[in-house]
Amino acid sequence: MSQNDNLDLKPVPGERLKKFLRRSDVLQSTLFGLIITGVFIILGGKYYPEWMPAAMSTDMKAIVKLMTVFTWISAPVCGVVLGIALYSFLNRHKGDTPPPDGPATRTNGPVVLLWSVVTSALALVAVLYGLTEQNSTSLASARNAEDAMVVNVIGSQWAWSFDYPEYGISSHELMLPIDRPVSFKVVSVDVNHSFWPVQLGVKVDANKLAETLADTTPTKLGEFDVKCAELCGLYHAYMETTGEVMTEEDFNSWVSTQDGDRNTK
Amino acid sequence: MTTLDSQVGSRAIPNPKNSLITKLNAGTGLIVGILFAIGTYKGLSNTLDTSVYHLHNQVLLATMFMWSIGFLVGIGAFIGPVRWLVGKDLTAEEQLYMAGDGQGISRYFKYCTDHKVVGIQYLWGVITLLAVGGSMAMMIRTDLFNSGGHFVTAPIYNSLVGLHGITMIIALIIVATGPFGNYIMPIMIGAADMAFPRLNALSWWVLATAIPVLCSAWFLGGIPTGWTAYAPLSVQAGPGMNAFLATIIIFAVSTAVAGMNITATVITMRAKGMSWNRVPIFVIGATVSVALAIPAFPTFMVAMIQTAMDRSFMTGFFDANVGGTGWLYAHLFWIMGHPEVYVILVPGVAIIMEIVPVFVRKPLFSYTAAVVGFAGIAGLSVLVWAHHMYMSGWMPMLNGPFMVTTEMISVPTGLIFLVILGTLWNGKPWLKVPMLGAYAFLWNMLIGGITGLYLSDVPADQYLHGSMYVTAHFHYTLMGAALTGAVAGLVYWYPKMTGHMLNERASYVSFWLIQIGFQILYLGMFIAGSEGQPRRVADYASEFINSNRISTVGAYTVGIGFIILLWAVVHSWRHGKIAPMNPWGAKTLEWTVPYPVPLTNFDTPPVVTSDPYGYGRSAK
Amino acid sequence: MAKSNMTAGKRAASAILATALSISVVVGVGVTLNKFSADPNGKLFATKEADTINVDGKEYPKASLTMGVYADTEQAHADGFTGMKNDWVQYGPSNHLVLPANTYITMTIHGYDGGEELNNPFFGKVMGTVSGTVNIDGVEYDSLPYNKIQHTWTLHGIPQSTQDPLFVSVPLLRVEEDDEIGWVPTEDPITNFKGHTITFSFLTKGAGEYVWNCEFPCGDDTYAKFGAAMSGYGYMSGKVTVTA
Repeated sequence: MSQNDNLDLKPVPGERLKKFLRRSDVLQSTLFGLIITGVFIILGGKYYPEWMPAAMSTDMKAIVKLMTVFTWISAPVCGVVLGIALYSFLNRHKGDTPPPDGPATRTNGPVVLLWSVVTSALALVAVLYGLTEQNSTSLASARNAEDAMVVNVIGSQWAWSFDYPEYGISSHELMLPIDRPVSFKVVSVDVNHSFWPVQLGVKVDANKLAETLADTTPTKLGEFDVKCAELCGLYHAYMETTGEVMTEEDFNSWVSTQDGDRNTK
Repeated sequence: MTTLDSQVGSRAIPNPKNSLITKLNAGTGLIVGILFAIGTYKGLSNTLDTSVYHLHNQVLLATMFMWSIGFLVGIGAFIGPVRWLVGKDLTAEEQLYMAGDGQGISRYFKYCTDHKVVGIQYLWGVITLLAVGGSMAMMIRTDLFNSGGHFVTAPIYNSLVGLHGITMIIALIIVATGPFGNYIMPIMIGAADMAFPRLNALSWWVLATAIPVLCSAWFLGGIPTGWTAYAPLSVQAGPGMNAFLATIIIFAVSTAVAGMNITATVITMRAKGMSWNRVPIFVIGATVSVALAIPAFPTFMVAMIQTAMDRSFMTGFFDANVGGTGWLYAHLFWIMGHPEVYVILVPGVAIIMEIVPVFVRKPLFSYTAAVVGFAGIAGLSVLVWAHHMYMSGWMPMLNGPFMVTTEMISVPTGLIFLVILGTLWNGKPWLKVPMLGAYAFLWNMLIGGITGLYLSDVPADQYLHGSMYVTAHFHYTLMGAALTGAVAGLVYWYPKMTGHMLNERASYVSFWLIQIGFQILYLGMFIAGSEGQPRRVADYASEFINSNRISTVGAYTVGIGFIILLWAVVHSWRHGKIAPMNPWGAKTLEWTVPYPVPLTNFDTPPVVTSDPYGYGRSAK
Repeated sequence: MAKSNMTAGKRAASAILATALSISVVVGVGVTLNKFSADPNGKLFATKEADTINVDGKEYPKASLTMGVYADTEQAHADGFTGMKNDWVQYGPSNHLVLPANTYITMTIHGYDGGEELNNPFFGKVMGTVSGTVNIDGVEYDSLPYNKIQHTWTLHGIPQSTQDPLFVSVPLLRVEEDDEIGWVPTEDPITNFKGHTITFSFLTKGAGEYVWNCEFPCGDDTYAKFGAAMSGYGYMSGKVTVTA
C-alpha cells in the first residue's frame, strides 16, 4: 500500500493512517470486503447445513458444524482478497493504449509482515480447530470401544455385506440400534473400496487382508445410504446399499428374523 | 495476406550434402515406429501365448515401448549419440540444418533443435490433448445429465473418467512450461537457445510418441481405474491399462529431460547482468515447477513399473495375498501426486504475476514475497502427500501431522495473493483479456484454496473424501487457476509466437463463456458433493439430479467457450492483426526481438541492468 | 486490421462454421460411444403368463424368464445362443433383462460351468427370493457352501427415492466333473446339455433401473479373478429394467 503522496508531508504515523483510511479506494475496497465477508458468512451458515444430509450420528453433527465454522473463518479472507480485486476491477483504465504508469511501489515491509502473520494465525486456528475436533472424536471412540457393537464390513466387487459377530448373522443391509456405539471393522476381499455410510459421517477404505477401523454412535432414527467412495471397477457406481438406525426393540426383532447360518470358509 | 512466412522461406537453407538427417521427419518416424511395433508384436506373439493374461501384457508393453523407440530412431533422434559412439559429431552444417532455420512449416515435423519450434510443437501438442480431454469431459457430463446412466455403459464411463483425467493432467503439466517455457523463456533471459537443444527436441518427440500410446487405451478396452490408477485395481484391469502404464513411463522420460534442460538453461544461460533478483518471475515459476517435477515423476514411473511387473511378471508389489500392499502404491503415487499439483499450478501463477505489472503499469509488489511463496509451496508440497490417504486407514495417527503440513501451505499461498493484490493496489488496470485472466485467477484460486482447507481437515475430509466435492475443488485449482493462467499467457504471448494479435472479440467472448460456465459447472459439483454423491460414478441416485444438471449446463458453456478460443487461435495465426513488436508495452526481453524471432534470438547478446518491472512514476 | 484480407462478415461466418464443426465432432464422438453402449445382444423380455399367484395375501401376475451361463463361446453356441467375441464365461442370451413391475418373476438359469471358491462366502446365501430358497434340479436350498458354486446372479441397484429397492442374490450350484460328494450333474431337458437347472422366484416392485452381476470370481488369471469377463460389460454383468 503506497503512501507516496503524503510520505513527506505527514510525518506523524497516526495522521498518515487517518488520511489513508479516508481515501476513497480504501473506503470502497473495505465496503466491498465487508459485503463479501457477510455474504460468505451467510452462505456458509445457511447452505452447507442445507446441502449436507441430515446428521444421524455424533460424527456427522461435528462435520456439519466444522464446515460452517471453516466458512466463517475464511469469509474475511475472501472479503480482503475480493474487496481489493473488485475495486481494482471496477476502477479500470479504458482505451486501446496502455494506461499511464501507477506509483512505483516495490514493496511495503509492514504490510508483507502483517499479511504473513495474519495468514499464519488463520492457518494455526484452522490447524488447532481441526486437531481438537479430531482428538475429541478419537477420545470418544476410545471411550466407546468397550460397549461398542462390532460390525465386520466386507467390501467385494460390487456389493457390501455386513457380519454381526455378536449375533452370528450377516446381511446386505446395515441395521444399527440407536445410541449404541458401533465399531466398523472394514476389509475388502479384492480391490480397494471405501466404506461410506453417508449420513453417519464415517468413511474408511477397505483393503485386502488389512482391517481398518471406524466408529460412531448413531443418534437419529431413519434410513441412511451406504456407498463406495473409491473407484473399484465396473460397477463401482452401483456398489451401494441402504442401512437403518432402529430402536433397540426393532433391532432385536430384526436380528431374530435373520437366519444364523452364516457361510464361513 | 501476410508474407511473414514466405520471407522465412526465402532464406538460404543449409545443405548438409545429403546427410541422413535431411531425409528424416515425423513421417519416417511414423513408418519406422509402426514397423518396430508390428515387428515386436508379431515376433513376441509367436513365442508367447497371448491368451495368457500376463504374457499378453508383456507383449503389449513391449510393443508400445518399441513403437516409441522406433519413432525416435525414424525421426533421427539417435543420429547425434550414434556419431558420438564412433567418436564423431554432427557437422556444423548438419547442426544448422537441425535448427530448422528457413525450412518453413516442414521444420515443425522434424527433429528440430530450435527452442521456438519446440515451443510451437508443444503448443499444438497441448491444444490436441486439451481438445481430446475436453471432449471426454463433455461425454462425462452428458452421461451424468440423467440419473439412470443410459448414455454410455459403466466401463466406457470409467474409461472416460480415467482417460479424461490423465489426458488433462499431462496437458496441464506441460501447458505453461511446454509452449512458453520453450518459446518465450530463453528469450526472456536473453539466451540464444536452450542449454541442450537436442535434448529439447528429444523431450518433445518423446512426449509426442506417448500421445498415440495413450489413445490406444481406447482400442484395448479402456481403463477402469481413473487417472490415479490405484493398485490392485490396476493390476486386475484389462489390456488397456498397459497403454496407461506405457504412457506414464514415456512421459516421465520426457519431463525428466525437459526439466533438467530448463533448469540448466536458467542457471547457466541468463544474459549478462541478469542476477537472480532480476530474473522475470515467470522464469522463476517455470524453474520451480520443472525442478519440482525432477524428483516427483521418477516415483510415478517406479509405481508404473511396479504395476507393470505385477501385471506382466506376476510379482506381488501390490498384491496382499503374497505380502504386498496397495498402500505402497498410494504412497508412491501421492509422493508424485501432490508436488505434481504445484508443478501445474506454479507456472500458471507465475504467468499471472508476469502479466499483472504490465497491465497495471506498476512494479511487481514484493518480488521477494513471490519467490519465497514459490519456494515455500515447493518445499512444503513434498511433505503433504498422505493427506490424500487420511481415509485409507494406513496410519490414522499420522493424519494430524499431515494436516499441519497441509494447512501450512496456506501461508506461502497467501503470499502469492499478496503479491498480486499488492500489484493491483493503487493501479488502474488495463482490462485486456490477459488481465481479465488475472481476476478470474484470483477468484478461482480463492475458491479452490478455501475448499482445500476443508479437505485438508481430517474430520471434514471424513465426509468429503472421494466425493464430487473433491472433484470440484481440484478443478478450481488446476483448471480455474492454472489453466486460466496458461490461457492468459497464450493471449499475452500470442503476438510474439505468431506475429499476429489474437482476435480480441472472440477471446473476450470465450473468456466470459469459459469463466461463467466454469462457475456454474463446479457450483453444481460442490452441491452434489456436499449432498453426498461419490466421484467417478457412472450413475447416481435421482436425489442428485438437479445439481448434476446444473453442472452439465455449465460444462457445455465451457466447451463452447473453448471451441471459440480454438477458432480464434487457428484463425488469428494467419489472419489476425499484425502485431507490433511490443503490443502491451512490457519490459521483459522477449518484447525486444522482432517477429519472426531470429534463429539465435538476439543480434547482440543483451545486457540487463535492472529487473523487468521498472514501471511507475518515481516516488518524488 | 489493415493487413488482414478478411471482412468482418467472413470472419464471423468462419467462426460460426468452425464452432459448429467442432461441436459436431464432439457430438459424433458421443454418438459413437453411445452406439458402443448398446446392449450387445438386445433386450431379453420376460414372458407374461395368464395366471396370477397369491403371495402374502396379495395377488401378483406371473412372468418368466430363462437364461443360461456358459463357460465359453463354444458352449454358448451349443445352446443356440451366439456368444460374444471373447472366449469368456458369459450369461446369455442377453444381459439386459426387461421385467414387468409388481410381478411374480420366475427365473430359470441353466448353469453349465464348474467353479472354485467364493471371495466372499456371504454370497452363498439365497437372498431376496419369495420362498427364501432356490430350486436346483428339483431340490430347494437356502444356501450353498462357498466352494460348491459356479456363479451367482446378484441383482441390486442404487438406493434412491424414485425407485423401490430390489435385492436378489442366488448362488448357482457348480457342475462337478466327478460325482464324489453327491452333487449330481443333470441332463438338461431343454438343451440336452449337462448342467444344473436353477429356478427361483422374486417379486418386482415399481418401475426402475437396476443392475445385476456375478459375485463369483470367474475372471481367470486376473487379480482376485474379478478382471476379464467379470469387468467386461455384457459377460457376467448386466442391467435390469423394470417397466410399469
